[in-house]
Amino acid sequence: MKSISLYVERDSFIHEVDPITKMIYILFALLIPIILPSFTISFLCLGISLLLLVMAKVIRKTVPVFSFVFLVLITVVIIQGLFKPENETVLFQMGPLAMYKEGLLYALTITLRVMNIVSSFMILVLTTKPSDLVEALVRKGMSPRIGYVIVSVFQIIPEMMSSMGTITDAQRARGMETEGNVIVRIKAFVPLLGPVILGSLINTKERAMALEVRGFNSRAPKTYLYEEKTYTHGRLVQSVMLLLVVGAIVWRIFA
Amino acid sequence: MKKIIVEGLKYKYPLSDTLALADLSFEVSEGEFIGIIGENSAGKSTLCQALVGLVPHFYKGAYGGKVFVDGLEVKSHSIAEIALKVGMVFQNPFTQVTGSKMSVYEEIAFGLENIGLPRLEIIERTNYVLNLLKIEKVKDHNPFDLSGGQMQRMAIASIIAMKPDILVLDEPTSQLDPAGSEEVFSAIQKLSKQGITVILAEHKMEKVARYCDRVLLLNNGKSVDFDSPEKVFSRKDLEDHGVVAPVYTRVCKALGVKMAASDYYPVTLEDAERALRGRME
Amino acid sequence: MKNQSMWSLRLSTAALVLIPVAVGVNYIGKLIAAFLKLPLWLDSIGTVLAAMLGGPIVGALAGAINNIIYGFTDPISFVYAITSVAIGLAVGILFYKGYISSWGKAIVAGLIIGLVATVVSTPLNIGFWGGQTGNVWGDALFAFILANTDSTWLASLLDELVVDVPDKLLVVLISFGIFKGLPRNVVQLYNNNEKIETLD
Repeated sequence: MKSISLYVERDSFIHEVDPITKMIYILFALLIPIILPSFTISFLCLGISLLLLVMAKVIRKTVPVFSFVFLVLITVVIIQGLFKPENETVLFQMGPLAMYKEGLLYALTITLRVMNIVSSFMILVLTTKPSDLVEALVRKGMSPRIGYVIVSVFQIIPEMMSSMGTITDAQRARGMETEGNVIVRIKAFVPLLGPVILGSLINTKERAMALEVRGFNSRAPKTYLYEEKTYTHGRLVQSVMLLLVVGAIVWRIFA
Repeated sequence: MKKIIVEGLKYKYPLSDTLALADLSFEVSEGEFIGIIGENSAGKSTLCQALVGLVPHFYKGAYGGKVFVDGLEVKSHSIAEIALKVGMVFQNPFTQVTGSKMSVYEEIAFGLENIGLPRLEIIERTNYVLNLLKIEKVKDHNPFDLSGGQMQRMAIASIIAMKPDILVLDEPTSQLDPAGSEEVFSAIQKLSKQGITVILAEHKMEKVARYCDRVLLLNNGKSVDFDSPEKVFSRKDLEDHGVVAPVYTRVCKALGVKMAASDYYPVTLEDAERALRGRME
Repeated sequence: MKNQSMWSLRLSTAALVLIPVAVGVNYIGKLIAAFLKLPLWLDSIGTVLAAMLGGPIVGALAGAINNIIYGFTDPISFVYAITSVAIGLAVGILFYKGYISSWGKAIVAGLIIGLVATVVSTPLNIGFWGGQTGNVWGDALFAFILANTDSTWLASLLDELVVDVPDKLLVVLISFGIFKGLPRNVVQLYNNNEKIETLD
């Protein structure tokens, strides 16, 4: 059964780091460039994230995500370079259009920020199983009911997808038009979505009942089938990051 | 003390004008295998759900009377508390899969984690029920990748792992093929032989006749009869209550052949064969 | 429906199980729209339905979890969780106060939700993308406005508006239509108000 998670199984140091640390890393990668806004720092953070992705042996998997993001970023660069208000300094001309320095620098800031977010997120997403992440959070105190909701999304969506495939085929066999002008296409939308939703909602009632009789709302403190996973270096890495953030704040205030 | 005591049970779903259960009273002893039969809106599912607390706690609605399971009053305890005494298996194998676990093994452990058992006990009980329901072969499979019969056996395993003394099953084989059905009935019979009190709501009358000690016939939320299969299926007014007798009984009724020295018709193949042979000599 | 239970934080099991379905419906809506090549996202039908069935808290939670999960496959969506939460809250509040009780009112509600989404998303767009939305038509408009005025905020607002309002209008109408077609006992399941009456 297909999964919608991007997790990739690899044997790397990063995979052995605990999920909470990776989440804190995302925060770290976002905060530092905000505290110390400079291109050098942003490039540095991005560089570190990309390096970590290489170390985790998952860099190739980031390509589809980065490509999509690049497409939008290119339009940002063009539009900001051409049209940003307060554009003054012309860098080069292309016929009647002029590319301005301010706009391009602004687009660069955006590009770096977006790529920072994406790459730090990818570290978490590509090297962590969703169920491990949720279990780590639940052990730290998140409600197990919410934990259940998050993990079940990953299984329930592929189930709904295959049910939808069946319904689509059935509807088309009954002669439903799916090509044509916009109105035709909008009209096709509801008969495709309707049965899937109704079926899913009826299932939620049955699933809720089945969960209840499995002690879902038990007041007893939850226990775990597996031993708590010990992650290497979690504390160490978190302390390092904390120190760097404090250092950055100090630098910002005094430099 | 009796395992299940139902006294004057009445229930009305929210938004409904009629009673789904109308003044039901009966008792079940430990270890009995009870069948619940009746036409489609007779109240079989509602009664099953009333034994585990889904009625009234899940639906709310209007509730009257008392239900005691193993000494616990359903009205004043939560579904999770009652789940330690009574387990329930539903019709649809798919919707009983939690969707939050990647293997059959973990899926069975889910309920045990919820009730807070220590790890070693979880492992012990899970291994036990995997073996009992004959699904160890698939213990590492994804729960959605099983056949219907296997999925239902996994559902039964997950419930039995919680060690209830009473097991309620609401038409557990209606969505399964014949092979899957047989697997499930065979598992249920095994559990009954171990002393578990079984309540089975069913349409497959031949199975009811074969396995049940007593049969409860419901109509419009009321109890019409609660007696041995022979007595209930021999009733002349069976069809008025929307129930079709086992095929062996129908044949014998048509031929007018009752069991030897009895006022009742046979309900199983073996009894029918014996009675018909007796007639032929 | 009474209002005081609208903000109850203790969610029933049925409401919790609704949330993955809402996320699934969002995802399927998005897929069908892409399959039928409609120029809209249609990716919030599940959130809106969850809010109609279970109220603002369920709607907001469905929206948040939706974007958090999407964040696992497309990190930028994660930030727009705030917009999804706003949509869930807004629909839940409007619905529970009875403001979405007919097709005409649903149209108005759709427009309102479109505005809410626009207002919440625009600052996010400006902060992260310099004002663009990633939608071709919207960004073309953005470029045009930016070229002719000096206001990034105006350009971004209109960019988002032009995409969000038609999208949310259609989403609310579709969700309303589906909601009306649901059997009553399914809807009843999510009603938090009920107490057990006694028949003794």
